[in-house]
Amino acid sequence: MSKDIKSFQDNIRRTFILFSLTPVIAIVFTAILLFIFTWSAYMAETTREDSKSIAGDVDIILDTYYAMLTDVEFVVSTADIDVEKVRDRVFSILYSRTSDFDDIGNLMIMSPEKRALFTSKNSVPECLTGEEYDNWGIWNRIKTHPNETRTVLYGGNLYVVRGVFRGSDLKYAIIYSVPPQVIANVINNKNRYCILTDLGGWVYLNNTQGLTDEFGQINSLLEGNTGYARIGGQKYICYETSVAKGLRVYTFSDINRSTRMIIILVVIVAVIFCAIIFITYRSTATSSEVYTRDVKKIEDAFEAVQQGNLDVSLSIDSSKEFQTIGNDFNEMLDGLKKQIEQNRELAQNAAFSQVKQLESQFNPHFLFNTLDNIRFMAKIDAASADKMIVSLSGLLRYSIRETREEVTVGEDLQHLQFYLNILQIRFNKRFAYSINVSEDINDCLIPKLLLQPLLENAVKYGFGEKEKLTVRINGYQHQERLIFICEDDGVGIDEDVLEELKHSIQNPDTQPAHFGLYNIHQRIRLMYNGDYGLDIWSKKGEGTTVRLTLPKRVEKNVQSFDSRG
Amino acid sequence: MKRVHRILAALIVLVVIAATAYGVISRNGVAKGEAENKIVVVSPHPIEFMKPLVSEFEAQTGITVEVIRCGTSEAVSRIQDGEKIDVLWGGSVLSVGSYEDLFLPYTTENEKSFYSEYRNAGNALTCFTDVPSILMVNTDLLGDMEIDGYEDLLSPALAGKIAYASPVKSSSSFEHLTNMLYAMGDGDPDKGWDYVEKFTTQLSGKLLESSSDVYQGVASGKFVVGLTFEEAAITMLKGGKHVKVVYMEEGVVSTPDGIYINKNAENPDGAAAFVDFMTDVDTQHYIATDLGRRSVREDVNSSALVKAKEDIRLLQVDKDKVLKDRSEWVDKFMSYMGEDGNE
Repeated sequence: MSKDIKSFQDNIRRTFILFSLTPVIAIVFTAILLFIFTWSAYMAETTREDSKSIAGDVDIILDTYYAMLTDVEFVVSTADIDVEKVRDRVFSILYSRTSDFDDIGNLMIMSPEKRALFTSKNSVPECLTGEEYDNWGIWNRIKTHPNETRTVLYGGNLYVVRGVFRGSDLKYAIIYSVPPQVIANVINNKNRYCILTDLGGWVYLNNTQGLTDEFGQINSLLEGNTGYARIGGQKYICYETSVAKGLRVYTFSDINRSTRMIIILVVIVAVIFCAIIFITYRSTATSSEVYTRDVKKIEDAFEAVQQGNLDVSLSIDSSKEFQTIGNDFNEMLDGLKKQIEQNRELAQNAAFSQVKQLESQFNPHFLFNTLDNIRFMAKIDAASADKMIVSLSGLLRYSIRETREEVTVGEDLQHLQFYLNILQIRFNKRFAYSINVSEDINDCLIPKLLLQPLLENAVKYGFGEKEKLTVRINGYQHQERLIFICEDDGVGIDEDVLEELKHSIQNPDTQPAHFGLYNIHQRIRLMYNGDYGLDIWSKKGEGTTVRLTLPKRVEKNVQSFDSRG
Repeated sequence: MKRVHRILAALIVLVVIAATAYGVISRNGVAKGEAENKIVVVSPHPIEFMKPLVSEFEAQTGITVEVIRCGTSEAVSRIQDGEKIDVLWGGSVLSVGSYEDLFLPYTTENEKSFYSEYRNAGNALTCFTDVPSILMVNTDLLGDMEIDGYEDLLSPALAGKIAYASPVKSSSSFEHLTNMLYAMGDGDPDKGWDYVEKFTTQLSGKLLESSSDVYQGVASGKFVVGLTFEEAAITMLKGGKHVKVVYMEEGVVSTPDGIYINKNAENPDGAAAFVDFMTDVDTQHYIATDLGRRSVREDVNSSALVKAKEDIRLLQVDKDKVLKDRSEWVDKFMSYMGEDGNE
């Protein structure tokens, strides 16, 4: 993935949120979902069960009445419709069939002329006797369904009716008015919203409100419907069961309060989670910062070390692991510092001893040559010999007695004069020199006996076959550097020798054959860090130029190799 | 990240399972039992009047009836708006007659048994019952006053206590307006406007929205007297309300109301069955005996609760003139009311 690499703190924070919060929210909402689902399934199931159960009970009751009517018909018909004669038997059927119920109800046997032949309660409703009901309501049902037992809802009362026909003539009708309490008890036992209607949706029994229309018919939305219904802002789970005998049972669960509760629950949970998310978001910002503070510290420490600051230390005491890391780091850093210190000391020592060695190297050559010259001079020119001895002794004194590594330019030039004197006497007119060092660098510090090897080198390579050699020494300041240039007009150095010379100067490891220049270069390199040292140019027949570059330093900070840190 | 993906996946699966399960359950549950044989009836009749008739119709024919209750003119405009309506049940032949082209020509075989004046009302018009206009008086609020006819309504004591629906909205109110014009103009409606003008001032600007507001307003005591139709008063009377029926001594116009099948009925067979059922002898017998309306059939006697026709001073109206002048009369009446209202 080409995404940006996130910081450790961000990762920790994301992990907090992702792995703690997300699963909790997911699980809780899943639980709520499952709860809603099982709850609605449960509601639907209980509604259905109650509907079936009520329908079953009603069916059993109506069965009883249907059987009763059949019994009565049998008795009355065998008595040839002489009801008075079988009055007792009809009553006994009525009582035995309704013994389970509180009310025997009103059993009526009516002649086709709407005259009551028998009533168990000594009353007949008007809808059975009024002449306008001849073919209306109950009588209509009786006449249109010969020899059939029917359940008729008329005027809010439930009747079980049976018209007994001989051929196409109605002989008599048995009508049983079902006591409302009998079926109401079935519903009341269930303690549930329930509506009992006929097939047309006209309500017989109802223990609810608002589910019927102004006609007393069941709300058309519910009629023949099962499931979720919403009426006038109220929500119900509805289940409809048909009773075989022309009735329908509707049961309802009022889910308004429950849905409201669920909505409140969901809202509360949502609010809680919003708060949790907000708080977590804020707190993870700080806590992840706290927990990753140590990592940050470590990161900073490493950064500092990388930039060269070794004086850092890690102090961590928040957790064991990081404490160990911190302590180890500190230890490591201490060891490193010690190591570096030791290394530096070693290097200094080595450099110092090397410088000392290099300083002393010119002595034997020079001494040999000079003493040899003095031997000759003593024979030829005693005064010159004397001067040479004085110069040599001055030079030796300078070399031996002067313990300082660095001297001022002025001092070194002063003592260079001894060497020039010796050369002057030795070569007499064959050697000429000019020294041109600007006055303002007289107080600058340079290594002791810096310029002497240049002259020695010029003499060594310059004369060759030449009669006369002129050497010019220029010294000046360029920016913060001191430049010394030694030019001669000698024969120049052979190209292969020059190459070798350059090579040996640049590589300290090789065993140099040309000590003078090598010594100067190495001393400058060892004493001063930086881009300093010696350069050499030479052209056959034209002469040689040697240039020395070294830092400009003045007396104040005397004697320090490591002043540059 | 993998774990998060797994959790999310599990969650989605759970939600999907729950949703499908719920969907399956509720789909199994909701079996839309749309009644195949159904008619939509729009009617201004009182509920108590319609209930036993609709119930019996449903029981005998198996056709489901959906009833929309509203005033006659609203019912007509609903039909004009193309609402799904099969039958307009109610509204006087006089007022609905002017919209005859909205309705389906149909002649029930029961028409043979009608009184001759109710036969051939129009191709698409079938008379249902005879509805005399009457005054309905709240006997508790009447006190010492005597109300025997239109003239008595001008009594200052009744100002603002007369229930009258807008003749624009209620056909029974228009019947009364016609009745007033004929009765107070001594048979010439153009001479009746003097009375109508005085009558409008008695209303104190109150015009009710529908005919049911009139009889319910009187029964509930909001008004002392209401100008309504006989059957509404009889229904109130049977409902135990303390009201009485007054047949105007100046004369009573009795116009039949009808049943009309919508030209665009979705169930014209069901609608025809409805018309047949409502004009059937058994139905008319029941209506006349128990619901306080006068039958249009010769073979059905009137209820004991209504005054015999012979005892009422019946006025004959020129049906064509009424139909022709209807809107002019209504406008004129409303202009009286409007002036009243501005005062």
